[in-house]
Amino acid sequence: QDLPLGDSKKYTIGEIKVTGTTTYNEKTVLTYTGLKSGQELYIPGEKLRNVINKLWSLDLFSDINFYITNVEGNVADLELEIKEVPVLNQTTFTGLKKKSDRDELIDENSLKPGTKVTENLITTTRNYIQNKYKKEGYFNTDVYIQTKPVEDTTGANKVNMLVNVNKGDRVKIKSIDFNGNEQLSDAKLKRNMKNTKQKNIIRFWKRSKFVRADYQEDKTALINKYKEEGFRDARIVSDTLIKNDKETISLKLDIEEGNRYYVGNIDYLGNAAYTDEQLGKALGVEKGDIYNGVLIDERIQSREPNKTSIANIYQNNGYLFSNIDLVETNVYNDTIDFEVRILEGKEAFFDEIRVTGNNKTKDHVIYREMRTKPGQKYSQQAVVSTIRELGALGFFDAEQLNPEFVDPDPREGTLSLEYQVVESGASQIELQGGYGGGGFIGTLGLSFNNFSIQGLFDKDAYDPIPMGDGQTLSLRAQASTFYQTYSLSFREPWLGGEEPVSLSTSFSYTRQFLFDYVEREADKTRSFDILGVSIGLGKRLREPDQYATISNVVGFQRYDLNNYNTGLFTFGDGHSNNLYYQLGIVRDNTAFNPIFPTQGSKFDFSAKFTPPYSLWNGVDYGNLENDPEYQLRDDNGNLIDNNGNRVTSENSVADQEKVDQKKYNWLEFYKIKLAGSWYETLANFGPSSDLVLRTHAEFGFLGAYNSERGIPPFERYYLGGDGLGAFSLDGRETIQLRGYPNQSVVPIDRGVNDRDDGAVIYNKFSLELRFPITLKPAASIYALSFLEAGATYDNFRDYNPFQLNRSAGVGLRVFMPTFGLLGIDFGYGFDEIVGGQPGPNGWETHFIIGQQF
Amino acid sequence: SEYQSLLKNEETAPKYTAAEELYTEGKEEDDNGKLRKALRLLEQIEPEYRGKPQGERLVYILGDTYYQLGDYYNAPFNFERFVQLYPNSQKVEEAEYKTAVSYYNRSPRFNLDQTDTRKAIEELQVYLNKYPEGEFVDSANDYATELRVKLEKKAYEIAKQYHKTRYYKAAIASFNNFIADYPGSPFREAAYYYRYDSAYQLAINSFEVLMQERLENAREFYNSYNKYYPEGEFTQDSEASKMEIDKRLENF
Repeated sequence: QDLPLGDSKKYTIGEIKVTGTTTYNEKTVLTYTGLKSGQELYIPGEKLRNVINKLWSLDLFSDINFYITNVEGNVADLELEIKEVPVLNQTTFTGLKKKSDRDELIDENSLKPGTKVTENLITTTRNYIQNKYKKEGYFNTDVYIQTKPVEDTTGANKVNMLVNVNKGDRVKIKSIDFNGNEQLSDAKLKRNMKNTKQKNIIRFWKRSKFVRADYQEDKTALINKYKEEGFRDARIVSDTLIKNDKETISLKLDIEEGNRYYVGNIDYLGNAAYTDEQLGKALGVEKGDIYNGVLIDERIQSREPNKTSIANIYQNNGYLFSNIDLVETNVYNDTIDFEVRILEGKEAFFDEIRVTGNNKTKDHVIYREMRTKPGQKYSQQAVVSTIRELGALGFFDAEQLNPEFVDPDPREGTLSLEYQVVESGASQIELQGGYGGGGFIGTLGLSFNNFSIQGLFDKDAYDPIPMGDGQTLSLRAQASTFYQTYSLSFREPWLGGEEPVSLSTSFSYTRQFLFDYVEREADKTRSFDILGVSIGLGKRLREPDQYATISNVVGFQRYDLNNYNTGLFTFGDGHSNNLYYQLGIVRDNTAFNPIFPTQGSKFDFSAKFTPPYSLWNGVDYGNLENDPEYQLRDDNGNLIDNNGNRVTSENSVADQEKVDQKKYNWLEFYKIKLAGSWYETLANFGPSSDLVLRTHAEFGFLGAYNSERGIPPFERYYLGGDGLGAFSLDGRETIQLRGYPNQSVVPIDRGVNDRDDGAVIYNKFSLELRFPITLKPAASIYALSFLEAGATYDNFRDYNPFQLNRSAGVGLRVFMPTFGLLGIDFGYGFDEIVGGQPGPNGWETHFIIGQQF
Repeated sequence: SEYQSLLKNEETAPKYTAAEELYTEGKEEDDNGKLRKALRLLEQIEPEYRGKPQGERLVYILGDTYYQLGDYYNAPFNFERFVQLYPNSQKVEEAEYKTAVSYYNRSPRFNLDQTDTRKAIEELQVYLNKYPEGEFVDSANDYATELRVKLEKKAYEIAKQYHKTRYYKAAIASFNNFIADYPGSPFREAAYYYRYDSAYQLAINSFEVLMQERLENAREFYNSYNKYYPEGEFTQDSEASKMEIDKRLENF
């Protein structure tokens, strides 16, 4: 369609030529215009104008002209002259010192060689740079952009771009003045402007700068502050920005505070499921309170899982479709009546629960951890904790766990849930080599956290290893010239799949050769082997309540000595076996945050037994020393004394090595341990700031069935210090007691030079005050101060629960999901320790890693 | 070698000939080595033949080579491209069938994510609708049935797990959904039975005040099991517990 414009004439196109292009084929341009020789056309006319517009819109040309070159009759020859937009050759900056700044600008504005330099590009680049520096506080930034054609032999249409940036000085805010504020002080208002700060030499961590967007945000924060204080009508009447000089500006804000309002009558409308009292408790605002608009809004609408709000009450109890509004019904003098209008809607129930994205982890592993079940009432809380449980499995990327509501139907009151999961690598490989302890040490560790033992027998399951049943399998081997250790452990968290009954098994074997420090090599003829096997079942109990768990472990350890003196035994040749059964019962109802419990208690009872062999084996352990078989003899079998002189059977001496070998060939003991912690919130200073008192007591006792056989030098208690697990081949338990060096609190009536082989009784009491600094998921930090006291004893005759080593101190704990728990404590020990300096023990510093107390 | 120099050769024609030969031989002899060689050549020359007459055969061969090699991600991609580019080709039916079969092969075991299974059923159904008299109708039907049973097994096992972990209410809700969603499933009888058993277990383990209603509910589920499967696999078990229900209901 072609319409004539003004006094135009109709022509037939004769020949069309395209001139001025360098990079495009003439024909291509012509085809694009849609003009053909022989076509009829008004000049000037609608069609021609459209062609020009179409060409312009390509953004490829900087000038477009049509010429009539020749007219014969009504046949016109046309020439299309176009000028191509130049192509960028190079960009140079002046006024920016850092190369990284320049590169960044080139990147952000895509000023790469070959880019078409249009007017638009120049303008957007200029604005971009100006805005960028304004955001950093350079309010007076000037940007000039010049283009210069490049002269080169190819005649290509290229330009260089010269960008001159003059940042000027960073603008600082000399003063912020408020007018009209009577109720809130200038200082208080300034504090609430988080990003717009007055110039101040002392405050070096936040520079004074003026960014318009931040300033707008701060103004909103200012008004919110007023709202929190009950000034519902507060507003900023006007604000003025004054440029003092090139470097500083001043801000003037005129504020109209209005009246302070108080809460009047609160009415609830539409609530059938909950009474006014129940909702009132959640709202936490009463008649006569200052009208804190921000708080009231939060208490009504907030959907954040940990907040108390009316919306959460409904959302956690099935009312997915509920809707809650606040309406102010009456304002008189300084009092506001309002109504909480509730549309409860139908209670919603879960219809189907689906999982997608599990390419490795099998359904049953995921479904058993879920708190949302089909047919169950909808609860926001249940969805949130399901996400937490699934994240805690470690099989999925916790950041990408996403619950999707499918087909929520307000009329039927149903919804389905789809959990979208993303599998993450749950296996770890550790391969290390290094030089240490006089030789090469190599470690190979494999741990599969989502293993499938069933898959071992299914050739299709190898991809590359069978996975997806949620089991843990770890293998580890470490070897050096004088030391080898191998271990294997397996854990199935849901044995049988009916209940969370966990099965754990482990096997370990260590072989150690005596290291000859003179020759600097291992003496292979002298060795010490430890073999350990254990199998355990753990179960969550239904009685007395769901907080209790019980665990049973049967284990066996064998120590084999071959001319090797360890310090564990009095003998260097021989063996010792430890077959035990251990029962553990834990009841833990601490809440809510496992890292920082604010209420509840935790009890831990454990009992470890070996069979009482001496009851039936008929050995008279008390009389071994008088048995010729266990007396000292020389190589020819003659009785001798300690100095090697021959003696008669009347004055013979016991061979202590042989006696001990007989006593400890099968270890015989029982061991009881009890611990309890109570958590109590003493005071609450707002959300996530509870002052918590932790009271803790524990007691342990190791005994022998047969006093003549005695208590073995194994499984003993070592009190003092940070309580972190030490070298524990002998089953020792290290107990924390801050303010004293590690394992230093030995029974008080021991001699200074006695061999320290641990104590058989201990008790410990502690009071700890905790206050959180932050409890954000990324890092939880709390400060603590403590009073502790504890002691160890050699037997019940010496037991005196009031004769304790006391200490006090302060500390800090930091918990980060990636690192676990880290902490530092400074403790002062008030009492003397055996073998230490006379007087109080004094200050000790303890570093705590990964201990959950 | 000859193959190496062929790979470096700039000309496309000899590559095309060699690739086709390798493909044909490889397919006949079931020789993955040859097919892999063919694949490298095909990938090289495919862009060159776009829009040319040999292009049609080439894209098909490319898809089929992936298919023969068991690459069920690249195969459907190329078959789908083939169908789009050459909708009038004779090979379209085969390409569409093989696309669907690729998805069928991608479908993982029942207890993993079944997105690919659903996609495969969809593709097989598209094939079946388009070629009701087609060459591969029988196997397409078999595959589709197999996949549907897989989805049924998944839903059944999830519901069964609620029963096993004693979340009986969740089990009842899931079996209700199962019975409504999958008529004619081989797991249907078991679903009826376990729905009844869930209701029975729920009833006998509940508080006195709730028991009567739940027992009656369980009896209804028994009746519907018994109606459909009077001589079923679980008849003996269900009759035993039914007697218990009747006995307990007498007390109310």
